[in-house]
Amino acid sequence: MPDPREPIIRFDHASFGFPGLIALKDISLTICDGEFVGVIGPNGSGKTTLCRAVLGLLAPIEGHLHIFDCACDELRCHHRAKIGYLPQKGVVDRNFPVTVLETVIMGRYGALGLFKRPGRGDRAIALDALRQVGMESHKDDALGHLSGGQQQRVFIARALAQQPRVLILDEPTTGLDITAQHNVIELVQHLHDELKLTVLLITHDINMIRSRVDRLVLLKTRLFASGPPADVLKPDILHQVYGKDLVITEKDLIIVEDYHHHH
Amino acid sequence: MLDLLAYDFMQRSLLAAAMVGGLCSIIGVFVVLRGLAFVGAGTSHAAFAGVALGYLIGWPPLLLAIVFGLATVWITGWVEERGRMKLDVSIGILYTTTMSLGILFIGLMKTYNAEVYGYLFGSVLSVTPEEIRIIGALSILVLGLLLVFSKELYFIAFDQEMAEASGVPARQMFFLLLTLVALTVVVSLKTVGAILVFAMILIPASTAYQLTHSLKTLTLYSSAIGIFTSVAGVLISAIWDVPSGPAIVLLATTLFFIAMFCSPKRARRVRLAHSH
Repeated sequence: MPDPREPIIRFDHASFGFPGLIALKDISLTICDGEFVGVIGPNGSGKTTLCRAVLGLLAPIEGHLHIFDCACDELRCHHRAKIGYLPQKGVVDRNFPVTVLETVIMGRYGALGLFKRPGRGDRAIALDALRQVGMESHKDDALGHLSGGQQQRVFIARALAQQPRVLILDEPTTGLDITAQHNVIELVQHLHDELKLTVLLITHDINMIRSRVDRLVLLKTRLFASGPPADVLKPDILHQVYGKDLVITEKDLIIVEDYHHHH
Repeated sequence: MLDLLAYDFMQRSLLAAAMVGGLCSIIGVFVVLRGLAFVGAGTSHAAFAGVALGYLIGWPPLLLAIVFGLATVWITGWVEERGRMKLDVSIGILYTTTMSLGILFIGLMKTYNAEVYGYLFGSVLSVTPEEIRIIGALSILVLGLLLVFSKELYFIAFDQEMAEASGVPARQMFFLLLTLVALTVVVSLKTVGAILVFAMILIPASTAYQLTHSLKTLTLYSSAIGIFTSVAGVLISAIWDVPSGPAIVLLATTLFFIAMFCSPKRARRVRLAHSH
């Protein structure tokens, strides 16, 4: 990894939302090349807004956001093609007529631009992305025939087909069974290690990622804490953000106290 | 039947039906995939209000149909984009408003005008050579734009937010799709009529949707079904002397139910249900 690391995403006192309905307020945060960052916080704390901002889907209403050291005042600045994205799992129409390879090739469309068709090179990039997520043998399968975990792998491959420098994943394990959750997180870690990708991973599952990420960013409309997991996951900080129900057990597992008592 | 084919009006009708059937069924693929079924239904009624106004004030009816159709889809798209209201609610309001305007305009005409009702119910057998040229030109325009932007339109139909995040101009593509739906409706008004045009957009694509998992095959099947049912519907209409619009739509609906029962997707769902 390059050292000193080059800052590639820089929020400078940036606020997002609408006047009267601020989703993120006064955020100052720098993310460097090759970092593996976990973004945590309660529901409605602005985690998805942070992603959408980096993707260029939202402009700051105050302050600045620099991507690859470009001020990017215009949404959809060309730099943002270097950012791959796995959106929060919506309701995938299981019958949508699309194959796995067709889905991954869609990741090339932004880079291709209008009027150009995907060619052999794009197909090779898409196949390579499928290989990286271990789904190459499913390339001709209908997307709807895959399990939830396999579909997430395909969507990660679509993000990789953009040949990104940054990978943003918005709650990639939601709705998956425990094995599939583990596999997806393992895959993300592998991609970070192998491809030297900068990763922003939004999740509610702090236990699953705490040992893997370089840094945790804790949001609750404002930036509450940012640093190595050990510095962020302190009882007083967590209580401030999540309320008193959240405790850290002797084995360092973070659980909801009420849940613990009743089960 | 061969005698019938010798008539000019019959040849024109079949040509118009084939063009409209092909066009509607191809745009229908995007409408079905993007979940815009109700938008198309609303647009056809709005376009009819334009036709009625055209006859009332003596302006070209198709021109005003385009204006009304475009205004409706653009307002609908804008409302959805702003998240102010659910799409089905906004189109429901516009749909009934424009239909009310259509009825009002007809009411304001002092005399009965059979041509206006032709646009409401469709009269493919009376298509004129000039109308064929207009249908042909607009079909080429719509199909050309669909072809040029097909990869972006497929992407926004699949996942608009993801398309936007990947650098595809998703918002512009959504409005392009709405515009093409409005133009298709206007092109088809004379042949199948405002009430039934939407069946032509929806049914062939929905039928094809039952049969395949591939985007390309879906488009091919849909256009084949659209052209076949339109041409066969016109022939049925001429041979048995029944109205052409219902003949086309009822034939398409029959194919839809056959496809649904023979669907490999349905077979898979049944297998899955039994295995659980």
